[in-house]
Amino acid sequence: MQTIPQQIVIDCTNLTTREINQKLKALAASESIPAKLLNPAGRHNLAVGITQIAIAIDGPVGYYCGGLSDNVNIEVFGDCGWSVGENLMSGNITIHGNASANTAASAHGGKICILGNAGPRAGISLKGATLIVSGNVGYGSAFMMQQGCMIVCGDAGANLADSIYEGAIFVGGEINSLGADAKLEPMNDTDWQLLEQELSALNISARDYNFKKVICAKQLYHFKAKDWGNY
Amino acid sequence: MDSEKVLKTSSTYTPEAIAAIQERAELGRYMIRGYGAFRNVPRFDDLVFLTTSLTRLPLEGYREKCTTKTLIGTRYAQRPMELDIPITIAGMSFGALSYNAKVALGRAATLLGTSTTTGDGGMLPAEREASSKLVYQCLPSRYGFNPTDLKKADAIEIVVGQGAKPGGGGLLLGQKVNKVVAGMRTLPEGVDQRSPCRHPDWIGPDDLRIKIEELREATDWEIPIYVKMGATRVKDDVKLAVKAGADAIVLDGMEGGTAATQSIFQEHAGIPTLPALVQAVEALQEIGVYGEVQLVISGGIRSGPDVAKALALGADAVSLGTATLIAMGCNKPVYVEDYHKLGTEPYHCHHCHTGMCPVGITTQDAELMQRLPIEEATTYVANYLQSLVMEVQSLARACGKSDVHNLEREDLVALTLEASAMAKLPLAGTDFIMGQS
Ligand SMILES: Cc1cc2nc3c(=O)[nH]c(=O)nc-3n(C[C@H](O)[C@H](O)[C@H](O)COP(=O)(O)O)c2cc1C
Repeated sequence: MQTIPQQIVIDCTNLTTREINQKLKALAASESIPAKLLNPAGRHNLAVGITQIAIAIDGPVGYYCGGLSDNVNIEVFGDCGWSVGENLMSGNITIHGNASANTAASAHGGKICILGNAGPRAGISLKGATLIVSGNVGYGSAFMMQQGCMIVCGDAGANLADSIYEGAIFVGGEINSLGADAKLEPMNDTDWQLLEQELSALNISARDYNFKKVICAKQLYHFKAKDWGNY
Repeated sequence: MDSEKVLKTSSTYTPEAIAAIQERAELGRYMIRGYGAFRNVPRFDDLVFLTTSLTRLPLEGYREKCTTKTLIGTRYAQRPMELDIPITIAGMSFGALSYNAKVALGRAATLLGTSTTTGDGGMLPAEREASSKLVYQCLPSRYGFNPTDLKKADAIEIVVGQGAKPGGGGLLLGQKVNKVVAGMRTLPEGVDQRSPCRHPDWIGPDDLRIKIEELREATDWEIPIYVKMGATRVKDDVKLAVKAGADAIVLDGMEGGTAATQSIFQEHAGIPTLPALVQAVEALQEIGVYGEVQLVISGGIRSGPDVAKALALGADAVSLGTATLIAMGCNKPVYVEDYHKLGTEPYHCHHCHTGMCPVGITTQDAELMQRLPIEEATTYVANYLQSLVMEVQSLARACGKSDVHNLEREDLVALTLEASAMAKLPLAGTDFIMGQS
């Protein structure tokens, strides 16, 4: 009797990025068997431009992991480089480690969870996705965020939410400073419910943190000469 | 002496300078406008062709074949862009341009076998349908940029900058951000929309290299990747873009048009198209990729001779923005009272940013847009492109070439010392090259 594989294992050691991604795409096109990548060794551009796949990556990855993808479930057991989940459309990307700069840049939908710290410019140009960081985020995070939700359990660096349009950022720790046109708004019950729901899935209790909510002050929605000092 | 008064004009405080000071005194800010640079710069008009007589033989003007096929993106892409003519339509956003204008550009480009380009704001489905060859821009804003549309593209253009505003971002004023435009850009309706000046997910050329690999992986290395830049430090920028893996360079000189930017950028930043082209060709030659990495040049190109001279100086193709809008009717002396409402006159209008374009091109107002019937606009643009190609072919044949890409530097001389220096061509009637002889 033929045995049905529970997981396809791909060892990246002697494969080019092209070959790895081609294998993943073939897998995504055929059946929904989860793939496991071994020895990624910090390689850039793994699992980019891919749809409908579940991948576990055993080790650190470089830039753009899961970038330009849709309806994916990617878990990385290690740290990741710049722009993880860039332009994600839907699905989940979870990093069991730290993330470098530009986490979830321009991500439209889905959820990106960093179970460690994220570097500067996390959630930059976020367009609707949910970004959760259990640790801290660096300076310039949520710059020009347009929509979506960012939850940071730890501290946020300087100029958080500079030039944000819409969406909300929740910070459990200290905020170094807010950027242009960002303001604090009191937390309400719906906010706490959202946080509890999102964080309980990660075994984090929202009430353990002193969450603050940052939104757009909408003072700079229109370009007015008198506002120049605010930029 | 006749008693008529001689009015003296200050060369420092010209009428334009006075108006500019007084306008800023009223506004309390810098001036924003559409179009490209107004100032006079050395341009292709300052060069002339040495056609043929005894030393070279011409081809028969009205009969002999002169081919115009153009390939862009042959370096890595499995499916390079195959164009019937060396003229492409530049990226102009849906938002800056009306729906009708975008569709007409697509249809006209398709009729001529060339490509058109999306713009800030994403891919309009009707534009994809209208354009047989569509270049999908990846801009700093990433408005409307998504993997689904990426897979429908025939080429990708990573926009680093534009000639009209090198180093500057964009500003689409709220009056143009209607429901559809706002929806495509994930923005609140009616808000003045800023386009950032740098990409969110990469900063330097080393990152760009990885970004290019990401885009190639996402599109299975099938389609070419262009890198578009505003002309400033051309030599270094071109070399870095090549090193980062670009299949083609799109270089936009300071005359390049825009729908809205600060006029100080248009008049005081970047270098003109002519020297930019010459430096870009030199850069490609210096690193041994001339011919392998194609060069598309843009900024103020509006006639067949402009195109022919750009090809002769080493460009593989040119890209047109403003001129195609003019072909559709931009600045036409119709609906004159609406020009007056904007405080301007036909032939002088550069009020694209207001969204009140009297001829329905740079507007999102449904009523104004009706003034631009798609079919008529398509015909005008297609006719215009065709006339340009015929002009290029005529000049090429007169230079003895059976392919427009065989035009060469040898075929040109300069009329002014500035053009001689910038194009590194001899001054007409002499062996003198300014700065080199
Ligand atoms: C109305 C308008 C909108 C434009 N929008 C964009 C854009 O979205 N993205 C871009 O890269 N360039 C944009 N440009 C610049 C053109 O792509 C091109 O670089 C320039 O127009 C070329 O110069 P020309 O207008 O003199 O032909 C725009 C230009 C115009 C006139």
